[in-house]
Amino acid sequence: MIVTAGLGFKAQHFDEAMACRADGLWFEVHAENYMVDGGPRLAALHALRGRHPISLHGVGLSIASAQQPDAVHLKRLAGLVDRVRPLAVSDHLAWQRWAGVHHSDFLPFPRTLEALSGVADNIARVQDAIGVRLLVENPSLYIDLPGHELSEPAFLEALAERTGCGLLVDVNNVFVSAANLGLNAQAYIDAIPAEFVGEIHLAGHSKDPDPESPLIVDSHDQPVAEGVWELYRRLISRIGPRPTLIERDDNIPSFNELMSERSQAHSILAVADQIKVNHVVH
Amino acid sequence: MSFTSMALFQQQFGDALARSAEVGTRVVDPALARALAVHRNTSAKAAQDALAANYPVVRALFGDEAFFACAAAYVRRHPPREPRLNAFGQNFDVFLRDYEPACDLAYLPDVAKLERLCTEALFAADAEPLGAEEMARHIAEQSSPNLHPATRMTQFDAPAVSIWRAHQTDAVSAFDAIVWSAEGALVTRPDGEVRVAIADAGMLAFLQACAAGADLNAAALAANAAGADFSTLLPNLIEAGALA
Repeated sequence: MIVTAGLGFKAQHFDEAMACRADGLWFEVHAENYMVDGGPRLAALHALRGRHPISLHGVGLSIASAQQPDAVHLKRLAGLVDRVRPLAVSDHLAWQRWAGVHHSDFLPFPRTLEALSGVADNIARVQDAIGVRLLVENPSLYIDLPGHELSEPAFLEALAERTGCGLLVDVNNVFVSAANLGLNAQAYIDAIPAEFVGEIHLAGHSKDPDPESPLIVDSHDQPVAEGVWELYRRLISRIGPRPTLIERDDNIPSFNELMSERSQAHSILAVADQIKVNHVVH
Repeated sequence: MSFTSMALFQQQFGDALARSAEVGTRVVDPALARALAVHRNTSAKAAQDALAANYPVVRALFGDEAFFACAAAYVRRHPPREPRLNAFGQNFDVFLRDYEPACDLAYLPDVAKLERLCTEALFAADAEPLGAEEMARHIAEQSSPNLHPATRMTQFDAPAVSIWRAHQTDAVSAFDAIVWSAEGALVTRPDGEVRVAIADAGMLAFLQACAAGADLNAAALAANAAGADFSTLLPNLIEAGALA
């Protein structure tokens, strides 16, 4: 089965998700929501798994940290990977856990060579524990920290080369980081090493509610912005089709509305696939 | 390989994040202040939304504005310790007992406790509920049935079950019709759906004895001492899927 564009699974859309037969459809869930002993939500995930491919997207591994990933959390993730047999497993190039507190966001760090080595060790620990390749996602950045020794694409490429991990390119995060830090988003997109990209995320962002702030925030509460679609088309035309997710976590619209956004991504992937086939033929 | 400077950075950034949340703190660098605010808001919103998802009746009783003010105070005092936010809000009932703005709503902590038991029941392990035939076997053999992993029970001072029920979409009893009396609660999860019922003292005594590993005879004696109605006790427990 070829997977094309997918949707973040929302429990309220369960019946529609089960019934939907769209070509290439898949669903992504936050792994942490299913790290439970049992019950109806886990049962719903297993039922959905029977109809569609599922990917597990983690928000809690905290791999870009001086601390190793939490052993209990790793064990839970490994158990879930074993039960679900996912299409992909991913988490973020960021940290959440420090001094016993879990920050439910993706915190930045200076991309030094020292950090590269430490993060690579953490990714290796995760992959050893779960037995499959991890896809590492670029986070949204809100501040240009001092002390970087590598650009984000270069850092991600080095991680992939060292650990065998893949990359999850969040095109909205590229857009948000570029806008907030004054980077060139197209140059970032063009610097992504095609051979390591295993998945793509598309999402909406919004303006920082603080009227004094020039920042845009990775809020996942809006449709995908046109500027993000443009970057996405640019990326796909260069690297070819990759499983692509429409991420929506807040202000959630109807299943049909999400499916129409998903169809847009599906069409872009279908066109890219056609171009690739033509290249092979001629 | 030493990871010292990374640890130092995380320590400093984490401290700055915590400090920036304190009233009256000013971060000198405006770019850093804005970034910290975005991270703090995103992180706090996730925890507050998780609390709201786990305590819908407390939210309804409180009203949105008061609830989210309370949620912000709770998250500051008890930030998440792990990434599984679907179970966030342990001991929210204890927090509410000392939460000044809620002191007029004496029943709120009990309703919060009931909602916490519902969350625990929702995510508990799966097991086949005990049917009438297995119950008959336990009676014949004088063996002890187990509680279903999702079963929770407790005694409240307030009519927490009636208040909770009045806030369900299929509510039959209006809030005004609630009789003010202490209520016991039985929370179960038959057929994958969390169910809340009033438990009388006899039922609670029976379940607590079973939970403590008592055999059926001892559990029945405890229930009898608490005034159990044996014509309904076992059928009700079986129907609710309370045993396994």
